[in-house]
Amino acid sequence: MKSAITKLILALVAMSIVTGAAVAQDATEIMKKSHMAYYYAADDGVADVTMTIIDKKGKERLREFTMLRLDEVDGGNQMYYTYFKKPSDVSRLTFMVHKNPDGNDARWIYVPSVDLIKPISADDKNSSFVGSDFSYEDVSGRHWTLDNHTLKGDSTIDGKAAYVIESIPKEAYKAFARKVSFIDKETFMPLREEYFNKKDKLVKIFTADKIDVIDGITTVTLRSMQDVKKNRKTTVDFSRITYNRGITADMFSERYLKNPPRQYIK
Amino acid sequence: MRKGLTEFSIKHPWTTIMITVAITAFFAAQFPNMKIDTDPENMLPENEPNRVFDMQTKEDFDLSDFIAVGVVAEDGAFKPDLLNRIYRITGEIEEIEGVIVDDILAPSTVDDIRQGSGGAIVIRTLMEDEIETQQEADYILGRIKANPVLRGKLASDDGKAIAVFVPIESKDMSHRIAAEITEITKKYGGNEKYHIAGLPVAEDSFGSEMFSQMAYSAPAAMLIIFLLMILFFRNMKIVLAPMVVAIMSVIWSMGLLILTGNTVHIMSSMIPIFLIPISVLNSIHIISEFHDHYKKYKHKDATIRHSINELFVPMLFTSLTTVAGFLSLALTPIPPVQVFGIFVAFGIIMSWLLSLTLNPAIAMLISNKTLHNFGQTDEEHGPLSKLMHGFRNISGRRNLSIIGAVLFVVVVSAVGLSMIEVNDNPVKWFKKSHPIRQADEAMNNHLAGTYMNYLVFAGEEDDMLKSPEVLNYMEAMQNELVKDEIVGATTGLSDIVKKVRYELFGGDPADGVIPDNQDEVAQMLFLFEMSGGNPDDLFKFVTSDYTKGNLWVQLTNGDNQKVSAVVDRATNFMQDNPPPVGINVHWAGLPYINIAWQDKMVTGLRKSLLGSYIVVFFMMVFLFRSVRWGLISMLPLTITIMAIYAFIGYIGKPYDMPVAVLSSLTLGLSIDFAIHYIQRIRTIYRRNHDFNEAFHEIFEGSGRAIIRNVLVIAIGFVPMLFSTLVPYITVGAFFLAIMVVSGLVTMLLLPALSKTFKRTLFVAKKKAKAEVVAVQTQNA
Repeated sequence: MKSAITKLILALVAMSIVTGAAVAQDATEIMKKSHMAYYYAADDGVADVTMTIIDKKGKERLREFTMLRLDEVDGGNQMYYTYFKKPSDVSRLTFMVHKNPDGNDARWIYVPSVDLIKPISADDKNSSFVGSDFSYEDVSGRHWTLDNHTLKGDSTIDGKAAYVIESIPKEAYKAFARKVSFIDKETFMPLREEYFNKKDKLVKIFTADKIDVIDGITTVTLRSMQDVKKNRKTTVDFSRITYNRGITADMFSERYLKNPPRQYIK
Repeated sequence: MRKGLTEFSIKHPWTTIMITVAITAFFAAQFPNMKIDTDPENMLPENEPNRVFDMQTKEDFDLSDFIAVGVVAEDGAFKPDLLNRIYRITGEIEEIEGVIVDDILAPSTVDDIRQGSGGAIVIRTLMEDEIETQQEADYILGRIKANPVLRGKLASDDGKAIAVFVPIESKDMSHRIAAEITEITKKYGGNEKYHIAGLPVAEDSFGSEMFSQMAYSAPAAMLIIFLLMILFFRNMKIVLAPMVVAIMSVIWSMGLLILTGNTVHIMSSMIPIFLIPISVLNSIHIISEFHDHYKKYKHKDATIRHSINELFVPMLFTSLTTVAGFLSLALTPIPPVQVFGIFVAFGIIMSWLLSLTLNPAIAMLISNKTLHNFGQTDEEHGPLSKLMHGFRNISGRRNLSIIGAVLFVVVVSAVGLSMIEVNDNPVKWFKKSHPIRQADEAMNNHLAGTYMNYLVFAGEEDDMLKSPEVLNYMEAMQNELVKDEIVGATTGLSDIVKKVRYELFGGDPADGVIPDNQDEVAQMLFLFEMSGGNPDDLFKFVTSDYTKGNLWVQLTNGDNQKVSAVVDRATNFMQDNPPPVGINVHWAGLPYINIAWQDKMVTGLRKSLLGSYIVVFFMMVFLFRSVRWGLISMLPLTITIMAIYAFIGYIGKPYDMPVAVLSSLTLGLSIDFAIHYIQRIRTIYRRNHDFNEAFHEIFEGSGRAIIRNVLVIAIGFVPMLFSTLVPYITVGAFFLAIMVVSGLVTMLLLPALSKTFKRTLFVAKKKAKAEVVAVQTQNA
């Protein structure tokens, strides 16, 4: 009798693990697809970006830059190159990232006023990107394998059917303790993300405000990140987006930091 | 009017009592609506330019008032165990309601700019996690010392002290939050000492301690006054009346204050402690008179009529002069002082009215049996009388010596007055032994200071703060300011730019300079933001449009005098080195606000004191219909003020807010005895035109009343001398000094002068006699 119950319990536990794993698999699969669609669209891309940082008093700070991206391995290493145009006193300043999802990224900055290239420490991925509400990680993506994902159900965002997925970092993480993503069922674009701190308070909200199809690729062209606690917001507007320009890896070298590739930067 | 009120009270005692009780009930009903305001910032009107600028600065740079938590370990604070405990303490402080978590400055929260591998610039939290080794602890101290933004602020160079700055949402939370922090430090504390300092804590704690002191001081003074009066008059029921009068006038004026929508501020909380003795003074005169004459008349109503008749004019004038003193406060430009002055004045008038009505009414209800023995005590041979007889002998025989002695006192006082130093510091409102004072001392000895002032460089156009010219000017100003002994540290945008540049070029001090072109400045700041620097940290020093820069000027001393010296230094510097075109430099911060209102207070009170002095003089001339007597009546007042303030000058006690406000009390009270003296001696003289008789008699009834007053009020305020709050001690000492000095001067100098100048002062016998006769016939 006793052993029968034990068996039953064991069976139930086993079943729940299996089904749980299946669901988790689903959620992880969705997040992977989303990550690939959002961060690894095409093989490379060029875009002009206008970033507006709006503080709690409504004051705006503007950053304009051109961004180049090359995927070395889909879902793996990537390279970013950023050429700043505005504010005008930082124009010609360039910035480069070699993203390595398995280890530390490498970042360099070129400071034109002193004609100096300097590495920038990249071990804090959560720090703010050029003073905006987006962190470096928000710009280049947090690898889906770092979190445990659970499908929490369905929802509708701006008339689009979405999966609701909860992600919890596998290792305690400063930036968030829990994230809820709303992933478009059709395009796998992240429509909305809510970040919660360890007290489970909502601290940051990401929204995809405008989605276009460019060269057949679904692209979020206007996005924003809101810092709920500080009552700040940053909007990022992408324009002149082009894909598959044939960017080569040698452009992401120190040489090009000083001499920007003019064919991509206007 | 003069007789009507008292007559009504004598005839309808119950009705009088019912009416006053009803009014009291009405005003007491307002008490639940009491709004307490302990913010010294409200010493300035809300639209006062300095205050408006301070508010604007706080908003521009997102600044908050903060509590400074200091950890002092004489054998060194930079040890893994202690740093880890501070790490945990900081973590718990973050959980306290009302703490602005993002702006906490602690080893575990501040960012450090340093060199990373491969020459990378790294901006990282100074102490990211708990540490294990002494090397790590030493490293943290080294980083603090190497960072101009943190040095002296977060730790002392000798590593014995560490500070945690806790910004709070609102100043009126600081007392509670400080208490919660103390709980946390107790939990984690070891051998090291924890201190909690900062102006907001001092100010808010003062407010809350003040109210508890109030709840103790006022009743304690009341009780002692009550007991002394029982001792003097040996009749509890009669003595009860003045107590009721005092309590009622307090309730009326506080009730009206609340009803008219005023907040109970640090100043107005002192209304009861001022009103009670002033109110009791009138009653003592009435009871004294009643006491001394009851045995003669043996009829309550006759005795009351006689007493009130004798005292109506002097009481009216003693009240009016005190009212004049306090009403003059209404002319100062400091709202809480205005409110205080007006409502004390109102209370005094009400207590005068109540003394004339409620006192007689209550006396009428006391049975003749109770009164049977009243006034039977052998007053003529009692200790008070003996004392007065001594006074009579001295002032009669040694009149010239007394005048000479007083002249000497005046000269000595004049010297003392010139030594008065105007100074104030809310932290010093606490006694030296108070934890807040000790924290202040300990932290300011070790660290760059707990008093934060801000010097704002406001440009007229965007990006002006990126200009090397402006930053160089700011740096020059910093170099000038740190020459002052109390400037512990200055931190500005200039420091951040220099620090980033220093680290960018690999740590050669020669590179830690302000760039010579604007783009480079902008790029250094951009680099700061790119390297993980928190933009919020940057915008504590500059507005996001780079129009205004904020130089943090940290002071180790909050004395207004010292703060003023720093402000003057900046002003002089700007006169010699005008700021770049389009840049306006202005101060903000609590220490600056304090000197701003102190300035207004000192000049405002000087004017109002002078004004009411003149008003009182004219009142005296009018009362005595004589310029000579008017001048003489001003002597006890003048000498008392001079002596008290000279004493303050000699002992080096700063002339602070309480001391300044007390000048109005001194003015209003010091003249009272002179009024009674002159009024009575002239009345007695008019009876028979015999100077010797008048001189003899003035030391009996009136003399005893005066000495009773001196003793009751002086002793009544002794408990306040043991208060933990310095302003309370000051108030107690003032009441004591006013009573003793003005009492002595009145009973020694005035008789001496009366005697010396009797021919000029007591003249026109026949004319005066005719007048008196005429008045008497009229009255009859």
